[in-house]
Amino acid sequence: MAQIEIRDLGIDYRKPKSNEVFSAVDNVALSVEKGEFVTIVGSSGCGKSTLLMAVAGLVSLTRGSIQIDGKQINGPGPDRAVVFQEASLLPWRSVRGNVKFGLEMQRWNGGDLNERAMQMIRLVGLGRFSDYHPHQLSGGMRQRVNIARALAVDPQVLLMDEPFGALDAQTREIMGTELLRIWERDKKTALFVTHDIDEAIFLADKIVVMGRNPGHIKEVIKVNLPRPRNEAILDSEDFHELRKRLRAHLAEDMSSMQLVQEVA
Amino acid sequence: MRSAEMTAEPAEARQLSLSFLHPSRSAVIGTLAVIAFLVLWQIAPAMGWVNGRFTSRPTEVFFAAIDVFKNDNFLFHARISLTEFFAGFILAIVVSIPLGVLLGTSKIARYLIDPPLMALYIAPTLVLLPIMVIWLGIDMAPKIAVVFLGAVFPIVLNTMAGMSEADPRFLRMARSFGASKFDIFTRVLVPGSLPALLTGLRLAVGRAVLGVIVGELFVSQAGIGYQLNLYGSAMRIDRLLVYALIVSAFGYTLTVLVRSVENKVRDWRSK
Ligand SMILES: Nc1ncnc2c1ncn2[C@@H]1O[C@H](COP(=O)(O)OP(=O)(O)OP(=O)(O)O)[C@@H](O)[C@H]1O
Ligand SMILES: [Mg+2]
Repeated sequence: MAQIEIRDLGIDYRKPKSNEVFSAVDNVALSVEKGEFVTIVGSSGCGKSTLLMAVAGLVSLTRGSIQIDGKQINGPGPDRAVVFQEASLLPWRSVRGNVKFGLEMQRWNGGDLNERAMQMIRLVGLGRFSDYHPHQLSGGMRQRVNIARALAVDPQVLLMDEPFGALDAQTREIMGTELLRIWERDKKTALFVTHDIDEAIFLADKIVVMGRNPGHIKEVIKVNLPRPRNEAILDSEDFHELRKRLRAHLAEDMSSMQLVQEVA
Repeated sequence: MRSAEMTAEPAEARQLSLSFLHPSRSAVIGTLAVIAFLVLWQIAPAMGWVNGRFTSRPTEVFFAAIDVFKNDNFLFHARISLTEFFAGFILAIVVSIPLGVLLGTSKIARYLIDPPLMALYIAPTLVLLPIMVIWLGIDMAPKIAVVFLGAVFPIVLNTMAGMSEADPRFLRMARSFGASKFDIFTRVLVPGSLPALLTGLRLAVGRAVLGVIVGELFVSQAGIGYQLNLYGSAMRIDRLLVYALIVSAFGYTLTVLVRSVENKVRDWRSK
């Protein structure tokens, strides 16, 4: 049995200022094995975040079901932790205070909270910065804190919504490598949303390509690049192949988007 | 760690500033202007430009100040005014913070109460002073009531705004970690609205000071406002100026105090 089992998932939103509903994702089915790193790509507005937030238990399902370890999800739970894109660190708490937040909310009883938080802060390489406040950190450092906060509660599944979306290309690459280093330690199941094709390939065991109107899964691509990975694989033959394939997918999506605009 | 971003030091580590040893141009000009003003003020009556009875002189004010602190029963009157101020202000805090929090978290309560609250905030609460005197007499009670009324609305309104404008991204993040409603309230909403609450407190200080003084000017048997009344009818400009300075210094000090806490708290928020 897969760790995450999504069946016939559909999520409708109410359109603003009307009673009409519109389907953000529809007919989504996906299985994720324990320890798998799955990336989700697709053009803007195709429902990537919606899918991820549904797995997090933060939006309610209109149709279908999501099971984790065979159990139907019902709201957020300690088996999952989310890394949001940005602005989710509490500005009045220090780095350590922020990392402790999740532990406090879940009434963590696996030992000293401070010790646990410091361990995670060191893991993401911010040992010297534990007393800083978020406004004193760079964007990359803030995302390290976000990741530490999610890892601290020791979830079964890690959900990340474009965690490096706001970072520049170089920092982004560094963060990707760092994330894999951390992930290699205990290989938690991970769902990772991104716009960046290279990032999607570099991290993934499996890439989910989504299309729009309504959001659906177009293709699931297996990535068989060897692990542990480093930047060298970016130039490998297999990587080039995958990149081409993903590009074609996204280009197709863009042209269908233009069509929609012309018709409208 | 190989990324360059890790080496950045926080802005906090800035060196202690020694700029007071090198006064800036503006400080020099400012000081000179004040001295020029004092000199002009001192000689103007002697030159016959103004009537010294109406303008007094810096030296007179200085000696009046010494006299006020020594022989004017100053501590007695100050204690009365301070009691009125703090009684009204603390009462306002005790009432307005829970009220603001309640209104900030409940949309329905806000819809109901927001318009009258706004009206009361904008209307000068001092118009209620005569009624307070009729109801409560001429002792400290009506002044406490007026201070309370002046201070309560800015605190309620600002606390309310701070609570209801909480960043929805923080709420979602907290929910993702399984935070209960109570957790969200105590760990996200309350600390998040602290800067707004402090802004409310700061605005309330000015209104509370005004309440005490005007309340005492209107009718009283003791207090700083009573002294102002007394020296007003005796046309003692020097003493009036001394009391005016004392009142301003008090309000100014409290405001600066609250503002410094406020700035510290706001620092955490600014990106
Ligand atoms: N709370 C909401 N209410 C109504 N519509 C929404 C809501 N959230 C998202 N949508 C709509 O659902 C669709 C999918 O949004 P979603 O955020 O999942 O896209 P996305 O793939 O994550 O896009 P991006 O890559 O830009 O982040 C969009 O058309 C969006 O307008
Ligand atoms: Mg998104």
